Amino acid sequence: MKFTQQYKATIGADFVTKELQIDDRDVTLQIWDTAGQERFQSLGVAFYRGADCCVLVYDVNVMKSFDSLDNWHEEFLKQANPTDPRTFPFILLGNKIDVDGGNTRVVSEKKAKDWCASKENIPYFETSAKEDINVDAAFHCIAKTALANEREQDIYFQGIPDAVNETEQRGGCAC
Amino acid sequence: MKGVSLAPGDYIHFKSQVPLHKIPLLWSNYYVGFYENSDHGIAECCSGCAWNLPNSIGTKQWRYYDFGPKVVSPLICLPGIAGTADIYYKQIMSLSMKGYRVISVDIPQVWNHQEWIQSFEKFLDVINVHHIHLYGTSLGGFLAQLFAQHRPRRVKSLILSNAFLERRSFAAAMPWAPIVGWSPSFLLKRYVLTGIRDGPHEPFIADSVDFVVSQVETLSRDDLASRLTLTVDTATVEPLLLSDSFITIMDEVEKTKGKALSDSSIVDMVLYMGLKTNDYSAIPQQLKEQLSERYPGARRAYLKTGGDFPFLSRPDEVNLHLQLHLRQVGVEARPDLVQSIPKGGTGGSPSKENDKKKDPDDQPKDNGGNPESTSEESQLPLSSEIHSLDDQLLSDAKICSMDHEDAIILMQSQYTVVNRILQSACELFIFSLLPIYV
Repeated sequence: MKFTQQYKATIGADFVTKELQIDDRDVTLQIWDTAGQERFQSLGVAFYRGADCCVLVYDVNVMKSFDSLDNWHEEFLKQANPTDPRTFPFILLGNKIDVDGGNTRVVSEKKAKDWCASKENIPYFETSAKEDINVDAAFHCIAKTALANEREQDIYFQGIPDAVNETEQRGGCAC
Repeated sequence: MKGVSLAPGDYIHFKSQVPLHKIPLLWSNYYVGFYENSDHGIAECCSGCAWNLPNSIGTKQWRYYDFGPKVVSPLICLPGIAGTADIYYKQIMSLSMKGYRVISVDIPQVWNHQEWIQSFEKFLDVINVHHIHLYGTSLGGFLAQLFAQHRPRRVKSLILSNAFLERRSFAAAMPWAPIVGWSPSFLLKRYVLTGIRDGPHEPFIADSVDFVVSQVETLSRDDLASRLTLTVDTATVEPLLLSDSFITIMDEVEKTKGKALSDSSIVDMVLYMGLKTNDYSAIPQQLKEQLSERYPGARRAYLKTGGDFPFLSRPDEVNLHLQLHLRQVGVEARPDLVQSIPKGGTGGSPSKENDKKKDPDDQPKDNGGNPESTSEESQLPLSSEIHSLDDQLLSDAKICSMDHEDAIILMQSQYTVVNRILQSACELFIFSLLPIYV
């Protein structure tokens, strides 16, 4: 995935698909992006259900985006209604670390990691989509986590390897 | 209809709310598949000769649902071999409530791809629809692409599911294609049914299979035979004028590459399995990849599960993707024009709502641009075969009173008589030969 400067507002929700190789297996990620502005009501909750992983993204330069993570976390679990909410995989990304050489940063890495620790040890990555820092690593982690989760859930077709995942991306910031 | 007692509640609700329409198939080169002399210049015909034949009644027609605001350009759903217009009822209900117009059709009895294109075009003319978005599954996806290729101005976007570019590899795998048209109904049905019951299914998939099976039961021998003939049509989809960005390919993600049918899953293929073809297992995947290669810029929508009929088994996800697609290609929903569906009608008698039925022949009124009239136009009573027979007779009578355009049908009626007799004789003959093939 390439970062584009062009800003395009997410209308409700949209998705992209991305193919990755994890341990010699082709994995297709279907990444849903819901608008931070919360206008996806009309689409219902179908894309929450069946998600294998939820990616929360906040802007390290905006405290409000970090503060709202709790809401998003809770809201997701409510809508997706996973079988075991405590073990459902989440990943937190602190984005836009490139902005102004880090001078405008208001959320420290420690603060973010503390938050992750309080939520069943969610993996945390600091990224810059614009400078392509850590993005691949983050998505690799997402795919692996989702893959592991998928295997546990698969009660009907045990023994058939699943080459597929769906992740959800939700942003506290609209980027 | 014995299926009614087993029908899911939401389907009963659907039937009570959404009128079924039927219009005669105007471009009906009925036997062109067998006798390639459809243009014998018989200029006149008596008005009665063909219509009394029991087998020609109730079959040669467009059977469809059309629901949602008429001002919105419609999404038209095209089913596969085992499908009918009814299998998309969950899409019709959900999307029409959101302000989209959804039409779903039965693939009518046409015998080759030219006939399909002409017939479908005429159908669109009759229902007064110009620009369309097509959602085609399996055979329907193939037909959707063909139509988009030959009528590029009409087709504004495509959603393809389990679709293919060409069917020739199937034709080769189907040595008795030439006698499909003559095989008895029970045999064709048996092939479809034994196939799709295959494999262990999750409950929601099993339900979707049950529903489709009950729909297959309603198909006539000629319906199945014409679809099979279409399936082995040698047509190939050529590159489309339509840009890839207006195409969405929606497929269940393959769990294991090259795995046999139960997952790669199309009823069409099951049919071939029934027909004793071997080594088909790699074909669907290969053909799916061919499709992706043809439309590299198309959006890929993956469904995690869903079986052969995700629109029934995973309606929420399918509807979401359909909605996203329509939004992407610029179709604006008109939720403000959604007619309020009365509550509490589930499972109840639909007769009250249907009392407004004006004209049993079901000729659609021209009401394009008049969204209010949807629920009032041409309703058919539910599940009454006797009624539909009556209706058909009436509509057939109406054709006879129409003008030159419909002479095509009348001209053929004489062949029909002869062919019917010939065909029944052949059927007996073929039937006795079939054990050798099977």
